[in-house]
Amino acid sequence: MNSAPAPTPAGEHRLRHLIGQWLFHLYGFAGYAFFYLPILILVIFSFNDSRSVSKWAGFTLRWYEAMLQDRQIMIALWNSVFVAVVSTAIATVLGTLAAMALERYRRFPGRLFADITLYLPIIIPDIAMAIMLLAFFNLSGIGLYTWKVNFFGVRLAVPVSVIIGHVAFNISFVAVVVQARLARMDRTLEEAAQDLYATPWRTFWRVTLPLMMPGVLGGALLAFTLSLDDFVITFFTSGAGFNTLPVRVFGMIRKGVTPKINAVSSLMLGFSLLLVTLALLASRGREERKVGFF
Amino acid sequence: MTETSIPAVELRDVVKRFDDVVAVDHVSLSIAPGEFFALLGPSGSGKTTTLRMIGGFELPTEGEVLIEGEPQGYKPPYQRPVNTVFQNYALFPHMTVAQNIGFGLEMQGVPKDEIRRRVSEMLEMVRLSGYERRRPHQLSGGEQQRVALARALINRPKVLLLDEPLGALDLKLRKAMQLELKAIQEQVGITFIYVTHDQEEAITMADRIAVMNKGKVLQVGTPQEVYEQPRTFFVADFIGETNFLPVRVMNLGSPVEVMTEPGARLTAAWADPALRVGVEAVMAVRPERMFLYRPNEGPTGPGWNRVEGIVQQVIYKGLAIRYEVFLAGGNHLHVHMPVGRTDTTFVRGEHVVVVWPRDAARLFRRES
Amino acid sequence: MNELLQRKPSLRAWLLLAPSILWLLIFFIIPLGIIVVYSFLERDVYGGVVWKWTLDNYRRVFDPLYFKTFLYSFWIALLTAFFSLLFGYPLAYYIATRPEKTRNALVLALMIPFWTNFLVRTYAWLTLLRTNTGLINVWLQQWGIIDKPLPLFGNTFAITLGLVYGWMPDMILPIYAALEQLDRSLLEAAEDLYASGWQVFRRVIWPLSLPGVIAGTMLVFIPSLGAFVTPAILGGGKRLMIGNVITNQFLGAHDWPFGSALSVLMMAVMLVATLIYFRTGGEEARRGGLG
Repeated sequence: MNSAPAPTPAGEHRLRHLIGQWLFHLYGFAGYAFFYLPILILVIFSFNDSRSVSKWAGFTLRWYEAMLQDRQIMIALWNSVFVAVVSTAIATVLGTLAAMALERYRRFPGRLFADITLYLPIIIPDIAMAIMLLAFFNLSGIGLYTWKVNFFGVRLAVPVSVIIGHVAFNISFVAVVVQARLARMDRTLEEAAQDLYATPWRTFWRVTLPLMMPGVLGGALLAFTLSLDDFVITFFTSGAGFNTLPVRVFGMIRKGVTPKINAVSSLMLGFSLLLVTLALLASRGREERKVGFF
Repeated sequence: MTETSIPAVELRDVVKRFDDVVAVDHVSLSIAPGEFFALLGPSGSGKTTTLRMIGGFELPTEGEVLIEGEPQGYKPPYQRPVNTVFQNYALFPHMTVAQNIGFGLEMQGVPKDEIRRRVSEMLEMVRLSGYERRRPHQLSGGEQQRVALARALINRPKVLLLDEPLGALDLKLRKAMQLELKAIQEQVGITFIYVTHDQEEAITMADRIAVMNKGKVLQVGTPQEVYEQPRTFFVADFIGETNFLPVRVMNLGSPVEVMTEPGARLTAAWADPALRVGVEAVMAVRPERMFLYRPNEGPTGPGWNRVEGIVQQVIYKGLAIRYEVFLAGGNHLHVHMPVGRTDTTFVRGEHVVVVWPRDAARLFRRES
Repeated sequence: MNELLQRKPSLRAWLLLAPSILWLLIFFIIPLGIIVVYSFLERDVYGGVVWKWTLDNYRRVFDPLYFKTFLYSFWIALLTAFFSLLFGYPLAYYIATRPEKTRNALVLALMIPFWTNFLVRTYAWLTLLRTNTGLINVWLQQWGIIDKPLPLFGNTFAITLGLVYGWMPDMILPIYAALEQLDRSLLEAAEDLYASGWQVFRRVIWPLSLPGVIAGTMLVFIPSLGAFVTPAILGGGKRLMIGNVITNQFLGAHDWPFGSALSVLMMAVMLVATLIYFRTGGEEARRGGLG
């Protein structure tokens, strides 16, 4: 009926402001959609009832069945887990000790050398590290040794070189995380323990380690994730016949794209999500209790 | 105190260097058993470093640390018969109060039921019975402090080291804890070595005080000695309030004679032995030893010092009135006159004469 | 022994460091040395090395063929950094201007995909971008928006998109950290002094977020330079970056000395980039951006 009154200058400004806000929200939403959509589509098509990964033909679980029945994939899965567990265990111990040394002792002869050696693996691109290890294992003959082990009932043959390589790049990450945690720790607590007749060994077990635990676990979790996800270094150091899950996926992509790859990928995504959730729960639980790991 | 010839703690010419910084500079101390001994000084004076060397957390660069006559050499803290109450309490956050207090006994292999018994005793002594299962973060500052004390005392050490334990508490709590600590020390009879920067605290609690500055011990004495007979400018300045009047030495006989800027002749009872005739010096007098009179009133005679001035400021402090008096030469003095003792009060702008007895005056070298 | 340990803290430090340093010395430093040495040797028939010194490997790098690949990698890394910044900065700004609780949730939501397997994420784009069977082309054609499939795959676009997708969080986080620490009162002061929105950004916000921008650029540029998986999967075999060439030398053409030389040069370029980063206010960036 009557037209709306012409917007006042102030009203116009406000309108522009609102539209601007709304566009901003749209951009934010678009950004997150960008990150999540490809992953979601990947997971959706793992249930596709056809060989296509882009034309939907109905819901099915057959690709997951195929994946579970694929012996090569299952072995690759167990290989991944085994390598991750072993290399994480070693790297966590080594990295934690290194972090303690660097955080406790400010200056000592060779400190610069130790710093460089420990932090270089973080900035070296993985392709460079991969070929370095390949050349070394080839030259030294270590590349020939396989560790035959029975892991939860599955017989695996793991090249030692893969584990060695994983430890090599994980030590640094563990050290960084643990060092960060140690930096926030109250040093007088250890002096107090010694003041109360605890030898350095007992001080470590009763005071330092419990308080350091969140950092150590965080570092271990990070190392575990990096090891599971690693492709390049494993690819170069594993030689023919040995697959971890990422290496197997790469091989599958080469041979032909089917929803089975989506299924394997979804499995890996699910596992990553599980690890992230565990990490979050653990850190939140600790925050609430405000104590060490006990 | 029993007569023992062996001091509880002895430092013989101890030096501590960190790179090129000398934190502790040739310190020698002898602390008697059962004594409440204070290390007093500003931050950076080396008092905490000295304490840490007794505890074994630092090792001396030179010199020796002896506990009950035994040189400690390179012995780590867990081999020394001393315990420490840390400035930030250092309670183990991942243990209960009971576990904290019993930690030292546990490390020494004491059986569990005895630990439990002694922990309860200790909690009673620091008035925290029933707190066994609480965690440090659930306690107030004062409660944490008492747990830290209990944790140290339960081990019945020969010497207890306390590193500014009351620093984090508010004023009222601090004063209450000072009395409590003193009472506990007298009850338990252990030698306490107490580091603080609060001179009032040291004077209240200690049997003897060592005043430190820049790594050196300037004076050791009872609170009364340190207060009434300071031996250096720093000690006089650091402890209590002091007036400093710049003077020139005229005569080092008995009494010592000096002259102020505008020509007033004053006398003092004691002078730093290093002073010579003709040099610039400083006369120190405590404000409460000075009196204000109307001009031409008040005691005269050889044992009294008199200077004229104008009242600049009058501050009522409850127990006393503090007068800020401006002198002819540009110096000013503050005088504390107790309320209630005299009926005379003075107002701003009034001409007065400041009077003090000769034996309240001490002469020091000038220090920056 | 105990006394020695008590007196010499450096001894204790090295006792703790020994295992890890030893491991890295043998399995990292020495391999690095081996590669450097190899780069100066000749290849033998089987792809290994002959102990004769030569500079030929480095000379070959400057062959037009290989030099072009180096330049191409550099170009892609630049593109990746540029687009990561272009699209990532506003996103970082968006997150930084949300209320506190939302902010933390948003940062977490950003990181979750980042923590999943890189190969899987790259594969996801493969299924989307392929020319005839990729989801995007299939749907666009189905809905009649286009007649012929768009060239989204096997080209610079695909590789850059894959790299941006993989590394943009590394650009967003430092910028977000810098923006979050920004003192709001500075913005208000600027507005009080008659600055318009754009001017406030140009003169106050941008300069103060610069350390984060620099840190983010480095964190995206350097890994993109050494990319191998992304061009291998999204490049369709046609577009090679230096990572692929190096891989071929080691696993295909079997010319290890040449592959080593390429790697050494690639690492040298990265080292230079890192040093430039440290010179141009890197200190602040490290403190403020990567926190």
